[in-house]
Amino acid sequence: MTKRLEPHIAIETQDLGRSFKTYSKSEGILASLRGFWDRKYEERVALAPTNLRIESGQIIGLVGANGAGKTTFLKLLSGLIHPSSGTAQVLGYSPWERKPEFLSQIALLLGQKNQLWWDLSPMDSFALLTEIYDKDAALSRKRLAMLAEILACGHVLKTQLRRLSLGERMKMEIIGALLHEPKILFLDEPTIGLDIVAQTSIRNFLVEYVKLQGPTVILTSHYMDDIAMLADRLLLISKGQFVYDGTVDSFVAKTEQKQKISFSLAAPLDQDFQINPQIFLKAGEQEFSFSVLGHELPPALAKVAAFPQVHNIRIEEVDFEDVIHSFLEKESRVLSPGHSESP
Amino acid sequence: MVTSLIEVAVWTGIFRGLQATTLGGFGLDNYLAYAIWGSFVARISVTWNYESRMIEEIESGSINVLLSRPTSFYEYYLFQFFGYKVVTTFISLLVPLTAALWFDLPIFLDRLPLALLLIFYYLILVHTLSFCIATIAFHLNRVHSFTVAKNLSLWLLSGELIPLDLLPDFWRGILLNLPFANAVYIPVGYITGRGDIALLQQGFLTTTIGIIFFGLLARLSWQSGIRVYTGTGA
Repeated sequence: MTKRLEPHIAIETQDLGRSFKTYSKSEGILASLRGFWDRKYEERVALAPTNLRIESGQIIGLVGANGAGKTTFLKLLSGLIHPSSGTAQVLGYSPWERKPEFLSQIALLLGQKNQLWWDLSPMDSFALLTEIYDKDAALSRKRLAMLAEILACGHVLKTQLRRLSLGERMKMEIIGALLHEPKILFLDEPTIGLDIVAQTSIRNFLVEYVKLQGPTVILTSHYMDDIAMLADRLLLISKGQFVYDGTVDSFVAKTEQKQKISFSLAAPLDQDFQINPQIFLKAGEQEFSFSVLGHELPPALAKVAAFPQVHNIRIEEVDFEDVIHSFLEKESRVLSPGHSESP
Repeated sequence: MVTSLIEVAVWTGIFRGLQATTLGGFGLDNYLAYAIWGSFVARISVTWNYESRMIEEIESGSINVLLSRPTSFYEYYLFQFFGYKVVTTFISLLVPLTAALWFDLPIFLDRLPLALLLIFYYLILVHTLSFCIATIAFHLNRVHSFTVAKNLSLWLLSGELIPLDLLPDFWRGILLNLPFANAVYIPVGYITGRGDIALLQQGFLTTTIGIIFFGLLARLSWQSGIRVYTGTGA
């Protein structure tokens, strides 16, 4: 049954959650045999009950550590798995009912996973996808030409997929995901494993594409450049719970900015030196680098400047990536792990 | 090919030892024809490859690709399976056809189209049964052993080992009322003259009942499996 969403809401979840029950087995053959009659299960909360609303056309950057629940969230919204609790509406459909009308409007792109046919050329794969999505062949070819031109990969469309480089294959995967003009894109680490040139190329393509077509996008990535360039809304997830929901800019403003100080000495330090209660410089070293909060900068800098023969002092803004990681680290220490053991 | 030669040797040896010209009402040439056509039909109606692929897709999580597209996992593999079988059938048909004509073995060529139609109709049941086994992979690891057990059972039930008309009436009656006799005995019996049109009609009926039964089972097992699927590999 489909529920009417407000016209501008593409995705809405109500207490949407997922737990996984796994068999906890001790080491050894006796434990294996015991498992026939006495199994211990462990229940892990991959996603805690979540309430979210995502408007049409929004680009969501979903960030979290490995195992935080990002992919579980995407799998629920794309209908790959059923929830343990709650409901979700994506374009008015319940995703796990997997209705063809719903699946025709979404695209799921999993980084480093082949979704095209390994033994076929991309052209053949795209022809097959055109049939699967029941699209007009001529329009599909036109769209393919446009996407291939933007991605500068038209010259390899007729080469068997297995013979392409990773970067070229990823471009083909992206075309395959976008060929049917989906309204919602689920991009799970689309640039993972790619070299810097390929990452930049794909990132620039996605920026251009979302400006042109305006789909709703949920993007997960460990590369903060992906998030910073594309996302207009940031969701941080830690241990299955969303710990931040807002814009990238307000996140940066909210978290106390750190500054990174780097310098070197003419001779190795002869004994340990304390910059502040958390930062110690080790004896015997010559090159140093540490980060301090904004208000700690002047006294730390004063101590560094007091060293005899100090040079190459540099002060830099800490990467957005480091800010995110510190925030997540702090949150994960606060949050409960979401585990329980049951017989 | 090798199994055909072995069966030819076995039946020839049996008839020499029998010191009779017929067994169960049929002569040696009929048994040789059955052995050759039986091997050919059995290769068409057994599935290892596609069942293994479906199991592998579920175990590895490759099925995610199909689940996120508006296509049915069942239909996707059914049409691939059919495409493969159609091509291999018409190429390998030359072998038993040549052998039957060369050695002047009993064959009713005008019955071949209907027999092939039954074989291809039976393939829908074969695929449905494979699909049921593949869905076990949602719950258990390494379900390939079920494939082995299933194919071994079908080898016994289908008449590939020996023609079903050699069995006692009671067992023959049971096996002919199961759809698995359509894997070998019924189409081969029809082509070689062991059975008539009534046998073939029975084959279509039992296959239809089998497709309905296993189709319902497949639907239930798929729904059960997809509920517990964890999106492996994504």
